[in-house]
Amino acid sequence: MHEFLAQLANGVELGAIYALIALGYTLVYGILELINFAHGDVYTFGSFVALGILVGLRAAGVLHGAGLILGIAAALIAAILASALLNAGIERLAYRRLRKAPRLAPLITAIGVSFMLENLIELWQGSAPVPFPNVIPNPQLHFGALEVGVQQIVVVALAIATMIALHFFVQRSKLGKAMRAVAQDRDAASLVGINVDRTIAITFLIAGALAGVAGFVGGVSFGSAWFLNGFGAGLRAFTAAVLGGIGNIAGAMLGGFLIGMLESFSTWLIGGQWSNVAVFSVLILVLVFRPSGLLGETLPEKV
Amino acid sequence: MRSPRIAALAAILLLASPLAACSSGPAPASTTIGIGVDLPLSGADASVGTSTLDGIKLAVARANAKGVPGGFTFAVQALDDTQQGVHNPQQGASNVRTLIADDSVLAIIGPYNSNVAAAEIPITNQAGIVQISPSAVSDGLTLGKDAAMLRRANPGVNTFFRVCTTDSRQGSAAARFALDLKLKRVYIVDDNETYGLDLANVFARDFTKLGGTVLGRDHIAPDTQDFKALLLKIKGYKPDFIFFGGTTSTGGGLLRRQMFDVGMGKLAFMGGDGIPDIAEVAKKRADGTYYTVAAPNADLLPAAKRFVAAYKAKFGSDVGPYSANAYAATQVAISAIEQAIEANGKKMPTRAEVLAKIPRNAKNEVLTPIGPISFDKNGDVRKPVISLYAIRNGRSSFIEQLNLSE
Repeated sequence: MHEFLAQLANGVELGAIYALIALGYTLVYGILELINFAHGDVYTFGSFVALGILVGLRAAGVLHGAGLILGIAAALIAAILASALLNAGIERLAYRRLRKAPRLAPLITAIGVSFMLENLIELWQGSAPVPFPNVIPNPQLHFGALEVGVQQIVVVALAIATMIALHFFVQRSKLGKAMRAVAQDRDAASLVGINVDRTIAITFLIAGALAGVAGFVGGVSFGSAWFLNGFGAGLRAFTAAVLGGIGNIAGAMLGGFLIGMLESFSTWLIGGQWSNVAVFSVLILVLVFRPSGLLGETLPEKV
Repeated sequence: MRSPRIAALAAILLLASPLAACSSGPAPASTTIGIGVDLPLSGADASVGTSTLDGIKLAVARANAKGVPGGFTFAVQALDDTQQGVHNPQQGASNVRTLIADDSVLAIIGPYNSNVAAAEIPITNQAGIVQISPSAVSDGLTLGKDAAMLRRANPGVNTFFRVCTTDSRQGSAAARFALDLKLKRVYIVDDNETYGLDLANVFARDFTKLGGTVLGRDHIAPDTQDFKALLLKIKGYKPDFIFFGGTTSTGGGLLRRQMFDVGMGKLAFMGGDGIPDIAEVAKKRADGTYYTVAAPNADLLPAAKRFVAAYKAKFGSDVGPYSANAYAATQVAISAIEQAIEANGKKMPTRAEVLAKIPRNAKNEVLTPIGPISFDKNGDVRKPVISLYAIRNGRSSFIEQLNLSE
């Protein structure tokens, strides 16, 4: 029981990170029907920005007491802003011109952008993994049979707060409504006066911001940043988005948590070398038996 | 109109013929002898790779300063086998082909990693060129059926040597060290690579044989980031320590680091010679790590002290875990080449002549900072020594060493 709860908590932590990344895939897919393969690398970029800020602040000697909280907030906000701007920049430079091109063109472009980002990050940070500063004190807390680290709580709380904020933004705000309208029918949306280009740009900004949060919490949780991190994490998050039903926001969150728990439990019950097999078997099974995912509905025929 | 063309053609042929004769002749005009090197020089293995290369450079610089018979000079030709941040067997194989294609290269030092060595040995074996690795320790590179497969192009000839020991020697020494430290219950994790899996297998076998308990084993998948699920599982077994077969870059660093995130920071962590650089990833959390190195402790040998001083003077940094081995490997290669030059009337020797001069018994041992070196028929050193180190306050400190030749 004790071990089950510990694995569950770890799966939730891992899942929270995957869910944040998966949301980025799903938001972009929802509005453009494009799998943004560069998304994983935006996550890596966010991780490195947070790492850079934290290392700088620690060198300046301000990371203690209230300075620690402010420093963590500064690193998080910097990661969010940098990733958001990068993602929007990618959309503006690489995808916008291809919006009317055949579907395959932006897809291949996305793969190209992904390789480019990986190599640029390698040039910038080198090809060795860079240790992420241990900024969050991490004593273990006991709640009955459940034992969790403070760091784990911070990671999950940040991720869930972000997801709640996203939910309210999409469902309640005017911009969120515009996003949903463009996702439903781009031409009709523009007929009722929605600025389609701007709405798509904002979607990319938000997807990038989520990747920035993921980059920060991922760095804290794994303890290192590496130029190829986004590839593996991106693939798992993509699997999560497909599992939940790509294009569906609640589905991406659910899928993320499920994939995180699957990874944790398969390591526990089958063995570490099988965790990738377990995760990607799910991708294959979902694509074969339920391509629309757990929460996705079959698309109504467009007329 | 035609005659000028024919004249030009004839002129080209005339000019080309002496050149052709020259390049196929036994002694080209060049007086440079290449020492080929294949190591991981960038990416996750960059720091160990570069300090290993520096050991080679030091040996070559000293040989040149002393003067080479026949007026030759040695030049290091180093290639990097890293791809996408990690040592890569295909890249290593292609590097070795490049080095072999250069006639002036008479010996190759490297590679660093066992899986890269397994890809390179068939090529150097076929070419008949001496290859000496400072650090590739997997058993199958020199022993048993695996080694016979690697040498199938040229079964009668062994061209691969190593100045380090083997996984089985290292694994069994680690098992003895662990029991000396009163660590009796182990959980074993490895990275599923040639080196890591072999080391973990031998450690498991010998640890059990000597009376220790192996609680369980696990292999990790490549590019895993989260080791906490695995660690939580291990925690349930309540081991005295975790043994890791692998390198810092294949998961050792993050594994040690994340032990602290699940409340296992006080537990001892042990590995082989793949993790001396673990502090670069685990930082302060590296404390409490034990590792073995397949070489005597430098402080206990006078030749080693001189080497350490010379290395520091030349490169301004501390020696890396395999700098001395690389220096020794290069010394052995240079000694064989120099003997071959002498035997060949001070002219450029062939690769086969160099191979014939590799030290095979106590009489022609080469004295190196890691002790006198000669090889057995498999290509392994005849007097292996394994040392145990611990990381304390961020620094490696020597604990004890084991002489395995008795």
